[in-house]
Amino acid sequence: MTWHSFFDFSTMGHRHIVFVYAGVWIAQGAYLAWIAWNWAHIKGIRR
Amino acid sequence: MTYLRHILDHLLKDLRLEWRSRDSINGMLFFALLVVVICGLAFDPTSYPTTTRQIAGGILWVALLFASITALNQAWNRELRNQVLEAQRMAPAPASALFLGKVIANMLFVLVVEAVLAPIFIIFFNLHVLGNIWLLALILPLGTWALVVNGTFFAALGLRARNRELLLPLLLLPISLPALLAMVQATTGVLTADLDSIQINTWIKQLAGYDIIFTTVGILLFETVLNAE
Amino acid sequence: MEQRTPTLRSVAWLWFGITIAVLVVGFRQAIFLVPAEATMGDVQRIFYYHLPHAVLGLIFPYVNLIASLAFLFWRRRDPLNALTADALAVAAAEVTVLYVGICLATGMLWGKPAWGIWWAWDARLTSELLLWLLYVSYLLLRRYSPTGQAGTLGAVLSVFAAIDVPIVYMSIQWWRTQHPAPVFGPNGGGVDPRFYPAILWNMAGWLMWGILIMLFRFALERRRQLAEQEAALHAIEASLEIPQ
Repeated sequence: MTWHSFFDFSTMGHRHIVFVYAGVWIAQGAYLAWIAWNWAHIKGIRR
Repeated sequence: MTYLRHILDHLLKDLRLEWRSRDSINGMLFFALLVVVICGLAFDPTSYPTTTRQIAGGILWVALLFASITALNQAWNRELRNQVLEAQRMAPAPASALFLGKVIANMLFVLVVEAVLAPIFIIFFNLHVLGNIWLLALILPLGTWALVVNGTFFAALGLRARNRELLLPLLLLPISLPALLAMVQATTGVLTADLDSIQINTWIKQLAGYDIIFTTVGILLFETVLNAE
Repeated sequence: MEQRTPTLRSVAWLWFGITIAVLVVGFRQAIFLVPAEATMGDVQRIFYYHLPHAVLGLIFPYVNLIASLAFLFWRRRDPLNALTADALAVAAAEVTVLYVGICLATGMLWGKPAWGIWWAWDARLTSELLLWLLYVSYLLLRRYSPTGQAGTLGAVLSVFAAIDVPIVYMSIQWWRTQHPAPVFGPNGGGVDPRFYPAILWNMAGWLMWGILIMLFRFALERRRQLAEQEAALHAIEASLEIPQ
């Protein structure tokens, strides 16, 4: 495959490949961002 | 021996309380009846006897499952009033005796409901059972035990939770999926006579195994749940 | 703790960088380098993201179970250790929901072009769905539980879930099966060695990513617990100062 055929949306199979690869990154990235947001909004303990 | 006496005491207490009010049996009975009526209206069982036979097992168990959830939600309410549960926790009797007594009591309530519901169900759905109907006398109690033992346990688990009426089905339904599969398959096998007896036997054995495993786990972990904080 | 934090932080950033690099290599292998599969064509490339999530989604529940058992063991004996175990249990449960959810979604997106249906009620799919449902209900239980009981109640449910999933898997296995047999392991059909680089790079990448987010989530939960403890301590100190 090339970038050109990766973004070839003509058949259902090709569309689904893009959905899978984009969706996995979006889901995992969103979860990581959610953790990071919470991390930033809970202040650590002062010592 | 004393353990059995403790179980018996808890059981008799629950039965006496239920006999005085008859709240949960009446509620369950009417609720299950309504589910059966609604399913009857939705699927039109009279015109399609073969399809009815295939789906009747599933409808029966779904009705019983939902009905028993409504009753199990109330099962521990009596213990909450007047801090009875705190007294139970301090009692020298083992916690699992309380659990088992409660399970057997709920089991009896649901069995009464089933005994009334089964003939009504057969009438409303025009069921002509093709298989060995006496096997149902084995499948129904085993399946009921699977629902009740987990339901009682999870009702106690969610007892102090916010919106516990919602929490019980959320916990009970996923856990009872294997049991539900086995009892629906076995019941449908008996109703349609499509499965051979070896397959029905396997489903019944699985159901029995499920009952044994989850009763054991429930007995072992109940004390932890009772003294959760 | 103070000396450990900067080192830990740089290790975490390094780990994050390596993980991203491995995932990029995995992506390149899966999409551009590995040849297309003979019968299914390019659709089969979904497999390289589907398999790691499926396999890892079965590993994190074990982390959750072990942490839950450790919590139940330490609950009375050593409450501070128990809190740590509880934090690990939450982290593992959330990552399980994420990985199994992705596995289900990618599986559906693959099943539609390959089988013609989105979903089949077969052994693997149903038990994977049940696993997902159980861990969602685990997280809901923790949310709804009163303060201080979430750990215990969740740990008990985790034990139930650990027993339930194998049962449902075995009970459906001989009932219906459409999903292809596992490709690895004793009964595996095997994979053409030409596909190995894509599989192994993605496996390694998502494993590293999973460890990263699980430990990050664990650290977040620890931070939350410590902040709560400190707030409680302040409240006690404040209440001691008022009278006299």
